Amino acid sequence: MVSYILRRVLSTLPVMGIVALFVFSLLYIAPGDPAAVIAGDQASPADVERIRQSLGLDRPFLVQFGSWLWNIVHGDLGTSIFTNLPVAKMIAQRIEPTFSLMAITLVLTIFVAVPLGVVAAWKAGSWVDRTIMAFAVFAFSLPVFVVGYVLAYVFALQFEWLPVQGYTPLAAGLWPWLQNLILPALALGSVYIALIARITRASMLEVLQQDYVRTARAKGLGQQNILFVHALKNAAVPIVTVIGIGIALLIGGAVVTESVFAIPGLGRLTIDAILRRDYPVIQGIVLLFSFLYVLVNLMVDVVYTLVDPRIRY
Amino acid sequence: MSTTSTSPVPPGLVIAPQLPDLLVPVAIRRGVFGFLRNHPTVAIGGALLLCLVLVGIFAPWLGTVDPTALAPAKRTRLPSAEYWFGTDLLGRDIYSRVLYGARVSLTVGLSVAVLSSLAGLAIGLVSGFVRWADSILMRFMDGLMSIPPILLAVALMALTRASVGNVILAITIAEIPRVSRLVRSVVLSLREQPYVDAATASGTRTPMVILRHILPNTLAPMLVQATYICASAMIVESILSFIGAGTPPTIPSWGNIMAEGRALWQVKPYIVFFPAAFLSVTVLAVNLLGDGLRDALDPRMAKSL
Repeated sequence: MVSYILRRVLSTLPVMGIVALFVFSLLYIAPGDPAAVIAGDQASPADVERIRQSLGLDRPFLVQFGSWLWNIVHGDLGTSIFTNLPVAKMIAQRIEPTFSLMAITLVLTIFVAVPLGVVAAWKAGSWVDRTIMAFAVFAFSLPVFVVGYVLAYVFALQFEWLPVQGYTPLAAGLWPWLQNLILPALALGSVYIALIARITRASMLEVLQQDYVRTARAKGLGQQNILFVHALKNAAVPIVTVIGIGIALLIGGAVVTESVFAIPGLGRLTIDAILRRDYPVIQGIVLLFSFLYVLVNLMVDVVYTLVDPRIRY
Repeated sequence: MSTTSTSPVPPGLVIAPQLPDLLVPVAIRRGVFGFLRNHPTVAIGGALLLCLVLVGIFAPWLGTVDPTALAPAKRTRLPSAEYWFGTDLLGRDIYSRVLYGARVSLTVGLSVAVLSSLAGLAIGLVSGFVRWADSILMRFMDGLMSIPPILLAVALMALTRASVGNVILAITIAEIPRVSRLVRSVVLSLREQPYVDAATASGTRTPMVILRHILPNTLAPMLVQATYICASAMIVESILSFIGAGTPPTIPSWGNIMAEGRALWQVKPYIVFFPAAFLSVTVLAVNLLGDGLRDALDPRMAKSL
C-alpha cells in the first residue's frame, strides 16, 4: 500500500506541472499584447513597458517559464503589479476566512447530504425519497449567490438570528467565528449537498440489492445497522469520489459567497485583482486552488485504499 | 437453497422481485407528443425554456423601455404599475433590464454548449482513435480539469477585454475537458463492439466507421452533457458578471443587474431578487430538460439516479 500511495503521489507531479504551464501560458494564449491589456486603456506607453518588464514579458518564453517555476517551487508567487507586495504574502493574509468557510461547508455538506441520500435510498419511491430528490434538483439549479441572498434576507435581515455580513477570526472565539460562517456555508453548500445526496442515493440503491445486505437482514440486524454500517461502507467509493470532484464547485462558489457576505478572504482578493487587472495575483490564486484541488483528489485516492482494500493499481 | 430442494420455487426465481418492473405494460406512444407524455420532465423543462427564449427574442415588444436609459430622478423606485420590477440605482427600469438580460444568458448558455460539444467531440474522437495522441491530449485535459472552471474563466477574462464573445470563449475552454473525456470513454467502449469489428473486417475505412457507427452513438450522451453544460455556463456567466469579470456593464445581463444591486441589497432587495429569480428558473428549466433527456436516452442511468 505504501508503494501505491507513493506512486500516486508521484503521478500528481506531471498534472501539477501541466497546470502550472497552462496558467503561465494563458498570458500568451490571450489575444493581443498582455502587457497592454493589463495596463488598461488609459495607460501610457511607459506604464505598459514597466508592466512588460515586471512580468518579464521581454524575455524568451521558456526562460520566463523556467524562472517562474523555479520561484514557485521556492514559494515565491511573484509580485503584485498594484500593491508591489509579494503575492504569497497577500494570499497568506486572506487565506483564513476562505479555508474556514470551505472547511465548515465541507463538514456541513457531508453531515447533511449523506444521511439524506441514505434515507432516500432506503425509502426509494416513497414521498420521502421524492421530496429529497425534488429538493436536490432545485438546490442544484440555484446559483450560489441566489441562495446566499435569500438566506441572508430571511435569517439575518428578517429574523435577525445571525449576522448579515462580515467575518470574525477564529482567534476571537469559536461561536463568533461560527456565527458568521453558518449562512455562507449553507449557501455555498446547497449545490454540493444536492450533488452528494444524489450520488449517495444512487450508490446506496445499488448496494442495497446485494446479497450481503439480504444476509444482514436475514440474520436480524437492525435497519440502522444495515444502512449505515453494511451498506454505506460499501457504497462509499463513488461518494468519496464526488466529494473530491465537488471541491471544484466549492472553490468557485467560495469566491462568490465571500462577495455576497462581505468576507475578506481569497474571493475578495480575486475580485479586487480583477478590477485592478493584477494578473500575478490572479495567477497565484488560480495556481493555489488548482494545487489544492489536485491534492484533495490525491487524498481521495488514498482514502479509497483504506475504504476498499480491493483497490490497487 | 440447495438444488435438490423439493421447494416448488426453482432457485432461478430468486431474482423475481426485480422482474415486475420490466413487465409493467408501458403504453407505447409515438411521435413528438407521445415522447413528451412519456417524459414529463422534458416537456416541463422544454416548455419553460421555450417561454424564456421567446421572452428574450421578443423583449422589445413586451412593454419594455430602453434597458440602458438613465433617469436619475426616478432611481430606486419600488415595483409599481409603472415600473413592474422597480428601478435601479441609476433609474433604469429593472423589468426591461431583466427581459433583455435573458438574451445574454441564453446566448452564452447555448453557444458554450454547442462550441464545447464540438471541440470536445473532435478531441475525444482523436484521442479515442489515435493512440499516440491519446496520452498527450488526456494529460493536457487532466491538467485543464484540475483548474476549477470558474477560476479558469476568471483568469482568461482578466487577460482579455470584457465582451460577450470572450465570456463564451472563456467558459467554453473551461468546459472542453469534460466533454472530451466523455466522448473518449464512449469511443473506447464502442470500438470494442462486435459491429465495429465487423465493419472494420469488411473493409470499411476508419472515417466511414466513425461517421456511421461511432458518431451516432455518441450523440445521446453528448446531448445530455450539453444540456448540463448549458445550465452551468449560464451560472458561470452570471457569476463572472457578478464579480466584474464577465459581460461588460453596459450590456444588461442578470449577473450585472445583481452586481449593481449588491451595494443596496439590504434596503432594496428587489433589485437583486428579480434577476436572481429569472436566472434560477432558467437554470432549473435546462436542468429538468437534461434530467428528462438522460432518463429517456439512457434508461440504465435513469434507474439509479
